[in-house]
Amino acid sequence: MITARGLTKKYGARTAVDGVSFTVSPGRVTGFLGPNGAGKSTTMRMILGLDRPTAGSVTVNGRRYADSPAPLREVGALLEARALHPGRSARDHLRWLAASNALPARRVDEVLDQVGLSDVAGQRVGKFSLGMGQRLGIAVALLGDPPVVVLDEPVNGLDPEGIRWVRTLARTLAEQGRTVFLSSHLMSEMALTAEHLVVIGRGRVLADCSMSQFIAEHAASYVRVRTPQRSETAELLRREGLDVTPVDDELRVTGRDAAAVGELVGRAGLLLHELTLVSSSLEDAFMTLTASSVEYATSTPITAGAPR
Amino acid sequence: MTDTVALDPNRHVPGLPRPGFRRTLHAEWIKFWSVRSTAWSVVAMLALGAGLTTLVCATSADWLASGEADESPGSFVTWGLMFAQVTAIVLGTLAVTSEYGTGMIRATLAATPSRGAVLAAKAVVLTGTLFVAGTVTAFAGYFGGNFFLDRVGVGLELSDEGVLRSMLGSGLYMAGLGLLAAAVGLLVRHTAAVLSIVLALVFVVGTMVFLLPGAWGEWIGKLMPGNAGSPVATPVSFNPNLLEPWVGFGVFCAEVATVLLAGYLVFRRRDA
Repeated sequence: MITARGLTKKYGARTAVDGVSFTVSPGRVTGFLGPNGAGKSTTMRMILGLDRPTAGSVTVNGRRYADSPAPLREVGALLEARALHPGRSARDHLRWLAASNALPARRVDEVLDQVGLSDVAGQRVGKFSLGMGQRLGIAVALLGDPPVVVLDEPVNGLDPEGIRWVRTLARTLAEQGRTVFLSSHLMSEMALTAEHLVVIGRGRVLADCSMSQFIAEHAASYVRVRTPQRSETAELLRREGLDVTPVDDELRVTGRDAAAVGELVGRAGLLLHELTLVSSSLEDAFMTLTASSVEYATSTPITAGAPR
Repeated sequence: MTDTVALDPNRHVPGLPRPGFRRTLHAEWIKFWSVRSTAWSVVAMLALGAGLTTLVCATSADWLASGEADESPGSFVTWGLMFAQVTAIVLGTLAVTSEYGTGMIRATLAATPSRGAVLAAKAVVLTGTLFVAGTVTAFAGYFGGNFFLDRVGVGLELSDEGVLRSMLGSGLYMAGLGLLAAAVGLLVRHTAAVLSIVLALVFVVGTMVFLLPGAWGEWIGKLMPGNAGSPVATPVSFNPNLLEPWVGFGVFCAEVATVLLAGYLVFRRRDA
């Protein structure tokens, strides 16, 4: 269980994390989602006591990380895959970590095996690919067999097979009753992995809900209607109590599914050229939600929510 | 994924013994010796320190034995340590800056949140290694160089005044230099910057301040870390205007302690 209360971090005049409160519960994968620069990594560093909060607090299993008797046995973290000395071998990196927290030496080989790096354990990590470095970072997180696992952008640099592996790993860890907190700036990735979502933008929590609730509330869908008789059709559907918005040469209808809309139009003897259910993706929903909070926005207008 | 071990219900019971300082020390020891730069630096210290001492003694022995010599053989049996100092500074610098340069400091502090413990463990590993390496280098240089001095009759006995002291003093001085570099590393964090500052302080500024006029310049010169700390590492100093060996070493230790304290205070406060 991770609990943040009014967590705030300021760097000079810039507020990176602004009064963030959330709870990450055990037994499920909680996704921490936000655009780049939203404050995800800063929040995660504060969880691990690496950065000092300007205000507020964050606790792991009821106490500050730094007060833990053996932190690696309580919280396993992947912060940055490259938080390693390039001249040290993967095994030596894990060995010193194990030594620091009095973990049995056999854990080193166990986690190397678990992440599939046994064969290259003796190689210097400077020669590792981004994906191998990421796997080593995950091995570090699992070293103390911790009940709480915090992974910052774990799929960065992984190939499709690796991405699937992380997904399965995260879910398995959660099924074992662990608290799994996973950050990403990719909604599509979260949709496949997380059961619960904390969405952050410009240092503030924008949403804290289950994935299904997020989809229901934010991923809008409508029925696209194309007809040569636009005004008659719009009038008819409005009379039936549906919501109609004309956009370009189409009508966007909400309130009924495509079949019901088609029947109404057909019974009135009107012509139909197209009848399509358009659901905006989760990616779009995320973009809409965070549009105003993107740190490094480009000058091109954001077309979130537009049909594809 | 294979079935992982079951969650240990006692794992996060408050009061579970905290892995003690011994563990932190062990971790730092593994870290220190698992990068090649450590072994290379120690080898370089031996090669430069003992090798150059032997070489210089071999080439200067005849001159020292002749009546014309205006230097003491006691200055020559530790000659190479002037250069070996560089490796101690490099090791001390890298012990800290390599962690910042690679981002590994975050892994270190996530594993051991107590910054005081991390710093203490680093200091023990670094000074311990440098003391042993510096002392061994000094002895090797003494035996190598003295072989040539003995042949022409100007050799020194280990029991001669200052000889044994300079052997152990070399180890102490190397340890102090390494710690000084590590302390500056905590303040500045960039390898190149730290090396420039410490090397300049010990080699360049330390020599130049003697050019300052009057007693004022003389005292500043005597108190510069390299000038204060090095007399303990040689039986007879080339420069006659330095502090007495142990007095100078005391001043040097106080200077290192001051920088180390400043480094610790910054290290404790700063975000990783």
